[in-house]
Amino acid sequence: MVTAAETAPFRSRRRRRFWGRVGRASTPYWLIAPVVAVTGIVLGYPLYWLVKLSTEHYGLFELIRRAGQSVGLANYRSVLHDRVFWHTLVRTIVFTVANVGLTMVLGILLALLLVRVSKSVRLLLTSGLVLVWSMPVVVAVQVWIWMTNFENGVLNYAISKLGFAGFANHDWTQTTFSQLTLVTTLIVWGALPFVVITLYAGLSQVPRDLIEAAEVDGARPWRVFRDITVPILRPILLILTSLSIIWDFGVFTQPYLLIGQAKITTANYLMSIYLFEEGYFKSDYGRGAAISLLMLLIVAVLSVFYVRKMVRIGDA
Amino acid sequence: MKRRSIVALCLVAVLAAAVAAATSGATKKATASSITVWLQTDAQNGWPDLVAAANKQFQADHPGVSVNVQYQDWTTHLQKFDATLAAGTTPDVIEMGNTEMTKYMAAGAFQDLTSLKGTFDNSANWLKGAAAWGIYNGKLYGVPYYAGSRVITYRTDLFKKAGIKKLPNSLAALTADARKLIAKNPKKGFSGLYIAGEDWYSALGFIYDYGGSIAVQVSGKWKGTLESPKSMAGLAAYKSFFLAASRAGKTAIEASPNPNPYDVYAQGQAASVIGPAWYTCCTGKYKSVTGQFVMPGHVPGTVMPGFLGGSDLAVPIGANKALAADWIKDFTSTSSERGLEQKGNIPNATNLLGNSVNERAAARSWFVPQAKHWVDVENGNILRNMLGQILTGNLTIKQATVSADDNIASVLNQS
Amino acid sequence: MTRARRRRLRQTGWNALGLAVFVVMVFPVYWMVTTAFKPVTEIISVTPSWFPLHPTLGHFRAALRQPYFWEDVKNSLIIVGATVAISIALAFLAAIALARYRFSGRKLFVVLVIGIQMLPQAGLIIPLYVVLAQYHQVNALTGVIITYMTFVLPFSVWTLRGFLIGIPKELEEAAMVDGSTRLGVFVKILLPLMAPGLVATSVFAFITSWNEYIFARVLLNDQSKQTVTVWLSYFSGTSRNTDWGALMAASTLTAIPVVIFFLLVQRRIAFGLTAGAVKA
Repeated sequence: MVTAAETAPFRSRRRRRFWGRVGRASTPYWLIAPVVAVTGIVLGYPLYWLVKLSTEHYGLFELIRRAGQSVGLANYRSVLHDRVFWHTLVRTIVFTVANVGLTMVLGILLALLLVRVSKSVRLLLTSGLVLVWSMPVVVAVQVWIWMTNFENGVLNYAISKLGFAGFANHDWTQTTFSQLTLVTTLIVWGALPFVVITLYAGLSQVPRDLIEAAEVDGARPWRVFRDITVPILRPILLILTSLSIIWDFGVFTQPYLLIGQAKITTANYLMSIYLFEEGYFKSDYGRGAAISLLMLLIVAVLSVFYVRKMVRIGDA
Repeated sequence: MKRRSIVALCLVAVLAAAVAAATSGATKKATASSITVWLQTDAQNGWPDLVAAANKQFQADHPGVSVNVQYQDWTTHLQKFDATLAAGTTPDVIEMGNTEMTKYMAAGAFQDLTSLKGTFDNSANWLKGAAAWGIYNGKLYGVPYYAGSRVITYRTDLFKKAGIKKLPNSLAALTADARKLIAKNPKKGFSGLYIAGEDWYSALGFIYDYGGSIAVQVSGKWKGTLESPKSMAGLAAYKSFFLAASRAGKTAIEASPNPNPYDVYAQGQAASVIGPAWYTCCTGKYKSVTGQFVMPGHVPGTVMPGFLGGSDLAVPIGANKALAADWIKDFTSTSSERGLEQKGNIPNATNLLGNSVNERAAARSWFVPQAKHWVDVENGNILRNMLGQILTGNLTIKQATVSADDNIASVLNQS
Repeated sequence: MTRARRRRLRQTGWNALGLAVFVVMVFPVYWMVTTAFKPVTEIISVTPSWFPLHPTLGHFRAALRQPYFWEDVKNSLIIVGATVAISIALAFLAAIALARYRFSGRKLFVVLVIGIQMLPQAGLIIPLYVVLAQYHQVNALTGVIITYMTFVLPFSVWTLRGFLIGIPKELEEAAMVDGSTRLGVFVKILLPLMAPGLVATSVFAFITSWNEYIFARVLLNDQSKQTVTVWLSYFSGTSRNTDWGALMAASTLTAIPVVIFFLLVQRRIAFGLTAGAVKA
């Protein structure tokens, strides 16, 4: 019988074979080519358009004639000098941190819960999550409006029944803070299904016998989680966090519809709404393009930490 | 490294090819074997028979040309229109809201129909207010399609119970009646006449009733006129009327996320509401005891100026003008307009006017200043905020109007 | 208390918590569905009713009277099915390249994948329309499919790469040593381990494409070619009142295919859980 020591050099010689033999060094390029081709063909012109327009004065008049007047960096300067832009940026960053934090924490807790419940409850809960996921945003917003109506909404009813009598007729749309809190609950509620289901799928990659061995050794659940589960889940946690940052920073439909166009003011702008109002609503496409590219830059900066970590893990 | 630069070059090549393909010449307009018409879903739900009749007439006159009617919705149709303008694939006929026209006319989005005005039925008798929507710099770009005014929808049973024998013919009488109704129905939140505090469509009628206005153009520059004595008198009248008659929120609007006035009515929380005439659709269990009357002005016997809503039909650039104008002619023909009137709308010509409450209310109407950037004033909620500040008392009428005028002037006068 | 009894008690506790979470999460959906059955007076009534007291099917009838429902469902299924199938396949290939190979330009590709998702979509509507119009892809299902693929591919690549990284390379090498064929390794070892990740990503791709509105609205003109999400918008797009009962009924109808798709594929996630019993 061949011993492990004798087979070691033989094994390492074979090591590169699986992935090496599948093709030559050009293999990875063929693997990514379709994705590059599709996105390049579809988004090539829009990207070029955005960059070009951000340096032009381009309104409805210019759109019709399909020719703008070049103004260099004037659009960028006007946006960066706009105090509303900076206030909105800070507000959006705080908003994003709150949303991503809540989504990830609740997501992990729910995914762990999914592992622990019995099979039928698990099926019920995941089906429930998919139901939540499948609800169209417009409809979800309307249900939120009904539920939080200050006169007869079920939210106030439930809270006052729980003993907080002061909330019997609370108007949730009064302050910017409560408006954005409502938007946060809607967004987190809608985001949890993807996070929970993806984390649960990731948890399935955690070897069960490792966990059982640790538990037999007397390790408490928190240690098991921290030392075994998290390291394995790390790639997925990083992915979900970076995706959540990107999506929550640029979220538009929920705040726009929930707050309502008539109640949107510079005091409760979020970045995507600022982009919409200052760019597209006013048909100032040049300014809108500049704001879009600035938003791209900002989100890139915000998520670079997570993306770097992800890339590094993959390279290990 | 060599390979990295090859990769980068390939990426750039793909992007460059995509850009080149997209910018190489505009798409050619299809030959005249069909025309595309954009109408709002109001037509699909409300009067599909009139659309069918117009299509039939058009095809009789132009055999071999089919009509492709595509129904749009108000929230996205302008975005779609902008996309078609950029791509050169505009529809041949488009329905535009009256407040949407000015911006697009100023940008040159439509073809000049002045020479064809005579071909449209009853064009000599078009309602003055409605005709103005489609005129810019003296040229005609839009044909008035239909209009709608504002009326008071009321509970006949509650009015009778409160002892109101005659419908009020002056603002003072209306205020007194509203007080009576509230006294007789002491439910919490019950309104004699429900009007949302920031419902600017209803509130600004008061300004025009007293002879004021929102803004005027003086030698090319726009000036806000809300701080003029007449406008302020109108706002003061609005404030006292609101406080007496309505228990709506002072900063509430007449749409989501605040309750719709017709829902408040159907819940039994208001004896009357002010709004478009189609509110009779949604009166719930009070359908049999609902009536409508014209809102009176402050001078007895006059009508409170109502906001005239409505739509125009225009021909975008790049479209087949002759065929498009012909379709518009068929759709705004006398018989078609009469059909619209039957469905409760206000037709586009004075000789077609009937005697419904909706049409009588249009006898005095007001419209927004026809400035290129007016939509920005609306989107910036300048008027709504002003009303809210006045009603809550956060600002005096003078302070609120001065601030609003400044905002309006700076928005309207931007390049 | 015996150990078995303690375990059962703990299990019941977890189950109870799971049910409580279910109730809270699903409540808005419950509200939507019950509203679809409530008569109009109950919907607008000042006091909300937890359960439809006089249920009616009228709203469902009204919803189905809105023309082109079945055609639009078919269009949605075609568009979303094609988008998901092609995107997951292409994304999987690209994810393999990223996770298993070192090649120059790799970082650039990652930047491309992440960067696309950071672009605010609002800015892309007009130029995208111009490009597709150039290729006669406006008012065509293929135009929408290729647009959706562009949005679905980035996060699919990114997510699948994450799952792939979680599977140690040594597994495949070890199987090779044991004498399996390359294809056998791929099918018997890699795919089952990737199944949960593939399923989760497919479900996300499915739902995102199913509920996408603005691009479908702008790109598809004929009502016979539109998606069911656009069909849904006709219930609230007029300048008049919105028929809430019909809208809720219509939404309930549009959510059904999504739930069916999930129920069909969810077994794969559970399967993945037991298959994850990898000997370390």
